Amino acid sequence: MKLKMPDCVASSQDIASIMMEIHEYAKWFSHEAIKANSNIKNQSEQPVMTPVAMKILREWELKKPISQQSLNLLTDELKDLINNSPSITITLAAPATRDIKATLVNWCRSNISPDILVNFQFNSTLMGGMVVRYGSRIFDWSFRRKLLAARSSFPEVLRHV
Amino acid sequence: MSLTFLQIFLITNVLIIGALTVIAIRHMIAHFRPQPEEHHPVHNPENTAKLPRDVKEHLLKTAQINFQNVLDHSAIELQKDLQTTGIQLNKRLDRLGLQMINDEMKLYHTTLEELRKQAEANIMSAQKEIDSHQAEIKDQLIKRQAELEDKMKLEIAEEKKLVMQQLDTKLADAVASFLTETLGHNVDLGAQGAYLTAMLDEHKKEIIKGVVDEA
Repeated sequence: MKLKMPDCVASSQDIASIMMEIHEYAKWFSHEAIKANSNIKNQSEQPVMTPVAMKILREWELKKPISQQSLNLLTDELKDLINNSPSITITLAAPATRDIKATLVNWCRSNISPDILVNFQFNSTLMGGMVVRYGSRIFDWSFRRKLLAARSSFPEVLRHV
Repeated sequence: MSLTFLQIFLITNVLIIGALTVIAIRHMIAHFRPQPEEHHPVHNPENTAKLPRDVKEHLLKTAQINFQNVLDHSAIELQKDLQTTGIQLNKRLDRLGLQMINDEMKLYHTTLEELRKQAEANIMSAQKEIDSHQAEIKDQLIKRQAELEDKMKLEIAEEKKLVMQQLDTKLADAVASFLTETLGHNVDLGAQGAYLTAMLDEHKKEIIKGVVDEA
């Protein structure tokens, strides 16, 4: 069963970040396991993890108990997601907020593909709207595009003012 | 024709005068020439010798007087005839001259009238031609003027259209630049959330088709 990413994990960078956290956690877990086997009581603190990474880890734990092997498997799973999931790029007029990201990712995963990765970029010249790129296809629904497309109608509109 | 008639008349008169002169001369010669003796027994020496000298002289004087009377009478008659002929000739010449002058004047008037009519006809014809030519020139002028006006209107309309297009283009560029410069910053994405979702929903089929095609 494929790992299902929450909507707040949108892009391959997000997954890579979680992978790093999981990797840190796996390293800590490995050290702690060695200490436990060596009866060393000096335990180090668990590395700080983001809520999303914690959530993924807990969900993974429900499937497979935490072990070095399962953590490696989780990492492989995340790598597999990065390499094989379809990816779409959405360019907005400003850096996307968390809510916007979640809304758009949810829409993409509901309507396009459940495991699709959404990369967000911003370009202030767009003025509004968005530009969606999937592979070699680009859909430009920005305000700038509409504005330039409707440039010829400006004088007509101004005449009626 | 008239000249020929006058010449004939003059020649006839000259002939008559000549004939009268010849007759007068013959009479004069006959009077003064001594009669041949065989034909004039009066001059027969036998007869002459018989008449006395004073009778002879008396007879000779009487004959001279008679001859002179006859000669004077003939001269007077001839003078009268010549005078009458001269008066008639003058009258005839006056009439003839008057008639000639009248004829010439009539001919002159007729010719003058014909020339006047011809000149009038020529003037009328020329006037008609001038009027026709003027009308033609006027028509051409009006036509040319209309053509030029149409052409000018067309050129003005085209120029106006071109200027309007340039103005519209510059205005559109200015408005677009103004909007992009003005609205390009401080974009509130939060207000666009619903719009973005609606946009994705609107173009859902296109996106899915693009994804399928890319796959």
